[in-house]
Amino acid sequence: MAKKSKARVHTLSPRQQSPQKPLTPRHWRFKLLIGGAVLAVVLGVGGLVRFLQQRDLAPHLQGTGDMHYTQGTPGAPVVIKEFSDYT
Amino acid sequence: MQRFEGQVQLVLYPFALNPTSEVATQAAWCAGEQGKFWEFHHMLYRRQELWNRLAAPLERLSDFARDLNLDTTALKSCVESGRMQDRMQADKVSGQQLQVSSTPTMFINDYRIVGTQSEGELVRFIRQELNRVQVQGQ
Repeated sequence: MAKKSKARVHTLSPRQQSPQKPLTPRHWRFKLLIGGAVLAVVLGVGGLVRFLQQRDLAPHLQGTGDMHYTQGTPGAPVVIKEFSDYT
Repeated sequence: MQRFEGQVQLVLYPFALNPTSEVATQAAWCAGEQGKFWEFHHMLYRRQELWNRLAAPLERLSDFARDLNLDTTALKSCVESGRMQDRMQADKVSGQQLQVSSTPTMFINDYRIVGTQSEGELVRFIRQELNRVQVQGQ
């Protein structure tokens, strides 16, 4: 009895069928969404850290970027650093 | 400062040279926590003779604080907690890096001035520096 020959149907997996399939705009939108979310989280964490660092500072010091009391105009062309002793 | 509005910024580095001054410096920063750093700072100079020879000046400084309507209990507690020590140390390091060895020492931008200056001299130094900066900017 002759063997039944099995007809082999060579099917390609979806990936093989279109190995170079370009990303659709939908994929890009998804990636942009994820990227934007990551960026928002990073900026949020950065802002929170900055807030936590400064929330205990006296109002005069907030925003100065360092721990010194100042008078006059920030970013002025002339900056005077005064080292003085109270006694 | 008002004379040079918009042209000059003063950054104060309290530079404590002895234990009495260290207490005063910390008290000033603690007054700053209550929003009255500059008032306390000026009072320390105005009443210098009343406290600067005391080994433990905190009680006297608390009296000054009361005159400024500050919470004296909070101020004393703030000084005694030692939480301003790090800031004081940081300013000492800044001074050492700039080779400050006596007070008052001022830097008008990069120009060093050592010793007490009259107001007129300071104004002259500031004008010179403003002119120099303006010429450079042209």
